[in-house]
Amino acid sequence: MFIAVYGDTLCAMVSAAALASTGHQVTLHVSPGGVANTLNTGNFSLREPGLADLMLEQKREGRLQVVGLDQRPDPRVTVLWLALAPDLLDYAHELVRSLPVDIDPEFLVVNQSTFPVGSTEALQHTMQSREGADARHGAVVSVPDLLTEGAALNGFTRSAHWLVGADIPWAGRLVAEILRPFNRRRDSIMSMRPREAEFTKLAINGMLATRLSFMNDMANLADSLDVDIERVRQGMGADQRIGEAYLYPGCGFGGLSFSRDVMSLASTLQHSGLQAQLIEEVLQINERQKEALFRKLWQHYDTELTGRKVTIWGAAFKPESSRIDNAPALKLITALWAQGAEVHVHDPRALPALAAWAGERDDLVLHDDPYEAAAGADALMLVTEWKAYWSPDFKRLHAEMNKPLLLDGRNVWDPEFVKRAGFTYYGIGRR
Amino acid sequence: MWRVLAEHANNIKDTHLAQFFADDSQRFERLHADCGPLLFDYSKQRLTVETLERLFDLARQQQLPEWIDRLFGGEPVNSTEGRAAMHWALRLPEGASCVVDGQDVAAQVHEQLRRMERIVNKVHSGQWRGATGEVVTDVVNIGVGGSDLGPQMMVEALCDSAAQTSSRLTVHFASTMDGSQLSQLLRTLNPHSTLFIISSKSFTTIDTLSNADTARCWLQHTLGDKPGVLHCHFLGVSSAVQKMTEWGISEEHQLQIWDWVGGRYSMWSAIGLPIALAIGMHGFRQMLAGAHLMDEHFRNADWSQNLPVLMALVGVWNTNVLGINAQAVLPYDGRLKQLPLYLEQLEMESNGKSVTRDGQPVEHQTCPIIWGDVGPNAQHAFYQLLHQGTEAVTCDFILPARRYEQARDEVTAELIAQHELALANCLAQSRLLALGDAALKDADQLPIYQRYRGNQPSSTLLLDELTPYSLGALVAMYEHKVFVQSVIWDINPFDQWGVEMGKKLAVDTLAWIRGQGEVSGVDSSTAGLLGRILK
Repeated sequence: MFIAVYGDTLCAMVSAAALASTGHQVTLHVSPGGVANTLNTGNFSLREPGLADLMLEQKREGRLQVVGLDQRPDPRVTVLWLALAPDLLDYAHELVRSLPVDIDPEFLVVNQSTFPVGSTEALQHTMQSREGADARHGAVVSVPDLLTEGAALNGFTRSAHWLVGADIPWAGRLVAEILRPFNRRRDSIMSMRPREAEFTKLAINGMLATRLSFMNDMANLADSLDVDIERVRQGMGADQRIGEAYLYPGCGFGGLSFSRDVMSLASTLQHSGLQAQLIEEVLQINERQKEALFRKLWQHYDTELTGRKVTIWGAAFKPESSRIDNAPALKLITALWAQGAEVHVHDPRALPALAAWAGERDDLVLHDDPYEAAAGADALMLVTEWKAYWSPDFKRLHAEMNKPLLLDGRNVWDPEFVKRAGFTYYGIGRR
Repeated sequence: MWRVLAEHANNIKDTHLAQFFADDSQRFERLHADCGPLLFDYSKQRLTVETLERLFDLARQQQLPEWIDRLFGGEPVNSTEGRAAMHWALRLPEGASCVVDGQDVAAQVHEQLRRMERIVNKVHSGQWRGATGEVVTDVVNIGVGGSDLGPQMMVEALCDSAAQTSSRLTVHFASTMDGSQLSQLLRTLNPHSTLFIISSKSFTTIDTLSNADTARCWLQHTLGDKPGVLHCHFLGVSSAVQKMTEWGISEEHQLQIWDWVGGRYSMWSAIGLPIALAIGMHGFRQMLAGAHLMDEHFRNADWSQNLPVLMALVGVWNTNVLGINAQAVLPYDGRLKQLPLYLEQLEMESNGKSVTRDGQPVEHQTCPIIWGDVGPNAQHAFYQLLHQGTEAVTCDFILPARRYEQARDEVTAELIAQHELALANCLAQSRLLALGDAALKDADQLPIYQRYRGNQPSSTLLLDELTPYSLGALVAMYEHKVFVQSVIWDINPFDQWGVEMGKKLAVDTLAWIRGQGEVSGVDSSTAGLLGRILK
């Protein structure tokens, strides 16, 4: 089949590579800054095991092409595969609306993007109400992205389960046909309605966010009880009923998938007056947690931050990303500015986005070199745990900083080690 | 002059209001005036155009024009305390020139407004931090009298003009010396995210300082005794800079007012900080602009069109000539619930005096008893007395013509209908009070206990809408009304010696209650009560 995959997400690349590998003709539509564009230049920076190799192989075989996000699907395409970022719902509607009038009667749109609940049905409606088109032709189904970073490719090709939300029988059968090569050991497709599949994805994200916020709550308690949260985390994770995943306390999570828009039900459902109380609270705790390092700094310096120089390592909402959507660094920087501090930031990839967000200001300096950023600083905050930050040259840092104060928002450094190196150390739930 | 007025009154006092209206279909046209967003209808008062001319003569005889000049000239019109009363200067627009005794008053006023603005912006952007770095979400204004009534009334009245803030922000008020409000608030508030405003012109008010001490203790119990606690959780507003500093308010968190601002005239100054926190600085400046409009109107408008002058003289006519000693303030808008309380202080603390400016006992009645409530609720309470009691009472009806029109939610239509219902009730009540049975069909068929005497005079203040601008103008109008009446009665409206001595007596009494010293030299009632308390 001819399949057009849209999106800059990890999910888009994994789906495109995996589908091409089973013989489909796949065009991957990405924006100019998309990581997939860097495949040939050798700077493919996504450290996802096997993904770059598979994508290169499929390109060589001629089954995978990478083209522009704004390019419309090839006329031979009969499957439109949407793995867009959560903020591109409007673009998804635009893509569906601009499909030709005479599409194949069994033209399939697979929505793999994390959009609010109800979006797949809304896309279906957009598709059916195209001017001059036969409303019986085509279908939109929901196949939520359930990938785990670091094991994404395997997660697709050997998935333990698939959620497939389809209202129309032929559409469900067609999805099963596309997934057949990845669904061999046993039938692991779980069929449901589109909004049920979307809701399941929301519930999964909600559960993960709840675990993180719960751990952050525990970490804040650990702070005042003189308990090292790391030991607690390992002890909890060892309990099989709980497991190890998503128990890392930190200075808040960002990204679009956890934004209020996505975590809410679709606007059509909002008027029911019901709200997800726990999720609302979880997001609230997370917003507060983003200022955790600020609060520690504020107390360390007895509420006097005016004129201080503060360094932030990591502005992206997660490592390996150039995006800063809802990133904790943004709240920290705003809080520091309001108290008259000067902020110096290093990030391997997110500085352009940060510069665009901040505009021209005297109290923000962006650095290409992490040590340069820390020179003369009264505090160093580690906010995004890029691998390069895990074992810095502490001796050099100590020599170049004005005050040897480390605020570790991701608990990546060893408190004992850095204290021996002469630093004052604050982690999240550990000192 | 008083004799002339009395004679004139003799000619018309037997004329029922129903008759006045029957005789003159143009009565409303003749007896109303407006200023910006306010319309003042006094055609339901028991007077004629001729009455007004006599009242204007009285005002001239009492040198009203000269007194207005003194007020706006910054002269020490508060003679017993040797101070000017320049609340009007708080409302001067940016760049206005006002130099009194070599001080550029306008510049000082705007400097404080800018300080307020910095504080308001910091709180609104979620960047005012408590001692542990938490965002402040609750602000408690601790103050009493003028430092409480005005701000609280305004914050409640302007709830529909609330400013957008980045996180939740709630403004609370604590006033009474027994800690009633504070004890309730401290139960629910989080010390980490609560900011207190200690608001006291003298910074010696025992009610306020005792509440402030309790608040400080509550904070230190949780947050410890670090200097950051006072710094981050307290703002001070006062004219006594030294005393604020001694109490522990850090210098950059002090806002200043001046000797020339009276407590009950002070919500336009930094005392109004809770208002600015609630409606934002833009709203606050709108409120000042509305009041400034009224200041200019009062100074410049012809008396026949001058709202404060007309309102004051109508009041003098009622009090001194018709012998009506009670006045009800009846807003037909639940947001104005606190307005009667505010006006009780403004009028009764200002003009509840019985000594003239040259130290003689007054020869005429001064301020009547003023009370009130939200009109629709008062209909179920004391309106019975208004309609069928034996007391003559004059009423001020206050209502906005439009409401809920900007709201866009599922019950907008229903709420507009409720507003219309309130409007209808207001007009119906004032009509029935004025006309009595004449407002009814076939009243003479009814039993006597269902009849209405009528002839109760009232004025109606119609606002286009309740906004910071219109409410600013309304309150300034009452302020100037009070001033005009004080001129007619030849009393000083800006002091309040009557509230001082009780505080002093309480000092000894407190010692007795705490078991320090023998109870002596008191009346048997006080002694008896003390005995029971100490039992």
